[in-house]
Amino acid sequence: MLNNEREVICSLRNVEISFPKGRDKFVAVDHVSFDIYKGETFSLVGESGSGKTTIGRAIIRINNVSDGEIIFKGKKISGKLDPETDRWVVKNIQMIFQDPAASLNERANIDYIVTEGLHNFHLYKDDADRRAKAEKALKDVGLLPEHLSRYPHEFSGGQRQRIGIARAMIMEPDFIIADEPISALDVSIRAQVLNLMKKFQKERGLTYLFIAHDLSVVRFISDRIAVIHLGKIVELAETEELFRNCLHPYTKSLLSAIPMPDPEIEKNKQLITYDPSVHDYSVDKPEFVEIIPGHWVLANKAEQEKYLAQIH
Amino acid sequence: MEDNKFEFVTIDAEASEHISAPVYSYWKSVLRTFLKSKFAVFMLIVAIFITVFSLIQPMFSGYSAADAPYINDFSRRFIAPCAEHPFGTDHIGNSLFDAVWAACGTSLKLSTVVTAINMVIGIAVGAIWGYSKKVDIVMMEVYNIFANIPYTLFLIIMMYVLGQGTKQMIFAMTCTGWLGIAYFIRVQVMIIRDREYNLASKCLGTPTSRMVTKNILPYMVSVIMTLVSREIPAVIGNEITLSYLSIGLPATVASIGKMVYTYTPYMNGYPYLFWIPVTVLGLVSVSLYVVGQTLADASDPRTHR
Amino acid sequence: MSENNVILSVKDIVVKFNVRDRVLTAIRKISLDLYEGETLAIVGESGCGKSVTTKTFTGMLESNGFIESGSIMFEGQDLTKIKTDAEWEKIRGVKIATVFQDPMTSLNSIRTIGSQITEVIIKHQKKSKEEAKKIAIDLMDRVGIPNAADRFDEYPFQYSGGMRQRIVIAIALACRPKILICDEPTTALDVTIQAQILKLIKDLQVEYGFTTIYITHDLGVVANVADRVAVMYAGQIVEYGTSADVFYDPRHPYTWALLSSLPQLGEKGEALFSITGTPPSLYNEIKGDAFAPRSQYAMKIDFEEEPPFFQISPTHYAKTWLLDPRAPKVELPKTIRNLHQKLQQMTGEGGAFHVE
Repeated sequence: MLNNEREVICSLRNVEISFPKGRDKFVAVDHVSFDIYKGETFSLVGESGSGKTTIGRAIIRINNVSDGEIIFKGKKISGKLDPETDRWVVKNIQMIFQDPAASLNERANIDYIVTEGLHNFHLYKDDADRRAKAEKALKDVGLLPEHLSRYPHEFSGGQRQRIGIARAMIMEPDFIIADEPISALDVSIRAQVLNLMKKFQKERGLTYLFIAHDLSVVRFISDRIAVIHLGKIVELAETEELFRNCLHPYTKSLLSAIPMPDPEIEKNKQLITYDPSVHDYSVDKPEFVEIIPGHWVLANKAEQEKYLAQIH
Repeated sequence: MEDNKFEFVTIDAEASEHISAPVYSYWKSVLRTFLKSKFAVFMLIVAIFITVFSLIQPMFSGYSAADAPYINDFSRRFIAPCAEHPFGTDHIGNSLFDAVWAACGTSLKLSTVVTAINMVIGIAVGAIWGYSKKVDIVMMEVYNIFANIPYTLFLIIMMYVLGQGTKQMIFAMTCTGWLGIAYFIRVQVMIIRDREYNLASKCLGTPTSRMVTKNILPYMVSVIMTLVSREIPAVIGNEITLSYLSIGLPATVASIGKMVYTYTPYMNGYPYLFWIPVTVLGLVSVSLYVVGQTLADASDPRTHR
Repeated sequence: MSENNVILSVKDIVVKFNVRDRVLTAIRKISLDLYEGETLAIVGESGCGKSVTTKTFTGMLESNGFIESGSIMFEGQDLTKIKTDAEWEKIRGVKIATVFQDPMTSLNSIRTIGSQITEVIIKHQKKSKEEAKKIAIDLMDRVGIPNAADRFDEYPFQYSGGMRQRIVIAIALACRPKILICDEPTTALDVTIQAQILKLIKDLQVEYGFTTIYITHDLGVVANVADRVAVMYAGQIVEYGTSADVFYDPRHPYTWALLSSLPQLGEKGEALFSITGTPPSLYNEIKGDAFAPRSQYAMKIDFEEEPPFFQISPTHYAKTWLLDPRAPKVELPKTIRNLHQKLQQMTGEGGAFHVE
């Protein structure tokens, strides 16, 4: 793989995540493997039901892994952990949630919400120190110290999401899973939140797993992008490469669906609809292969040849 | 001069983050919403009046359910309500006014104690029950067994076994009385347990105990109020049933249930003996219920606007 | 598009809400004309009043809201004068129908899809049950439900989010409304489904000839659907014009900001343009230009006097002091200069996002 020398911070090895469904099981994530490098923004893009959120939640240990393993900084963090490792994971991996309206405790004030993690690990000297940390965390996300005594419902969506970011950042994690952090926000607020995330990454050398359903957002923020469809990663490449040489028909359909802010272009737009029946996998089974260095795609032998010819 | 107005000015980006609304306080908002309902405020005054009166009046009336000082004074029997005896007198010459307030006091004290015990146990057990999947398996079995025994029948059996008495009655009513409350709380906890803000707390390593006190219980104020406002009248009702069956409170304690039992034969001749205690009791139950329900509504933040 | 026939005319409406003993002014004097057959998009952030505006057309304001002044003329009737639900029943869903963001707010989860469509047809078109079923299946067909006849007796939970939204559209069209209000109909959907639904509404508009009002915060969606665009901020329209006017020659700093902050336009390694702060509180009286406290182009006068509408072309108006002859000349922000060329470079054939 490209960038072999880069340090891997988080690695998924053949991960399957399934949920019981009656007597059967429903496989949400079907044997997925990928590495996330330290300091990069790795984006996982897919539509609802693709399993992207499930993967994020498995890393942060909300969902259980039914097969395979997740490695973080060389330690296995899937399955049952001793309390010490568990605390280590909590301190090092944090999450930013999708819905700022649902992910803040409505009955707690901002002071409590932002310092909840500090309470849990007693990461402060005294009350004054805790308050100082809370004020700084709010300032870092562009909010005011006076907001500490307020309640979530008094804030706008963008402000709430920044509170959610402050709550995660105060733990000083190395790795952040951002689960569609801007899709519930107004377009005008999205830029604010994305810039904020970029700023933190620069200042603190953070690694992001950015989960999204929209490739347009992801292009701006990510170093590498994985496209996931029905629990399987269909394509993975560096951002520029993916936009230049997108191969899998599903990725193509996602790209064509991005609305462009230009009436002329939109009028002449041709929608590409993904039809899974274009793949003939009856004999020639697909595998996830590195078609050119750093660019992976799910394809069978015949498709691999076709794709290789497409790359310019 | 005019053109100066068209000069660019620098703006303070932070200024627009400022929230101008007065600081929100949950309990103040609850109070304000409650006070908006004139009917509930009226019922609150009624409830307070009855409670205070039934606790203070018996101290001065000298009434005791245990003795009948006027039993030989025939002229004091069956006096219709008048200035001297506002509620009249009964078949043994006791002032019904004194008797009603003493009995009312009993009902209120009993229902307060029983409700308090049931609520505390019910909330504690219900919170754990809803939160832990392991506890749920055990508790569901327990619940299925006890929930299928009619509660009144259970009380009757308990009282027969334990014998009459105030403590016995409290024990009988709290033995399984909390189970229904706990079940109700369990369902509510399960509804909010998997909400996203709880996942967020989990990701921050918040221990279960704090999850319950900070994330779950504050959301249940409204539900708890509803339960209390239902529980109090239910306890009063059960006391009446048991005392009516003469297996409730002992003869020495004033009780509405016993009064109803005693006065039923006079319902035709002296209807006030029956209707006055029943009316007063109805007023107690209804006022507490209305106050509780309005408080329950008021403590739902969605009404705070 | 026949520009001359005004189907709905809004004049100076003011909408207020009583909230916790205070009064919130959600709409501050909006006027707009809707032309027959066109698609008008209303764009703005949440809380700017775009949904509230259209709710006044169907009498669906929340109970604590009221229209304080102004008029809404539709088919010779002033809609602000309607008091009873019975009167609204003749307009809401019949002549003016709405498709909401969450299809489940419009669908009953315990009744079959078929019965929910036929109910509307029977009620408003006075058809028999059999006829209604035929019409319903035809409608389901038209909104793109595969095997419509087989899926007639299914329940909403058996449908995906996109399919449910198609059903809501079918129900909305069952009465052949004159105006279809689409209130963020695709915000909750995946991008590929969004593209399909947008196309569906456009196709149906050609077929049924209704007029569409589109409410959205996403300028990408606007570019796709709109003939005309109205940009709203803090309860007012700040700029309106044809789609080409607003995208290729925007004049209001807020429109600039909205366009510039689109992630599609982000340059890798550079910060995206972002609008600082939050919209003003609508509880307070707003003096001058409401956007001024967040605008890079704020002038002294913006804090003192409310700007009037300046006409840029017969179709294009903007409410900003920057258009006053006394104001200093400003250039379009860099990000959105030559927007069309820039975006053309970013897209390949067929308009798909593509980076060389």
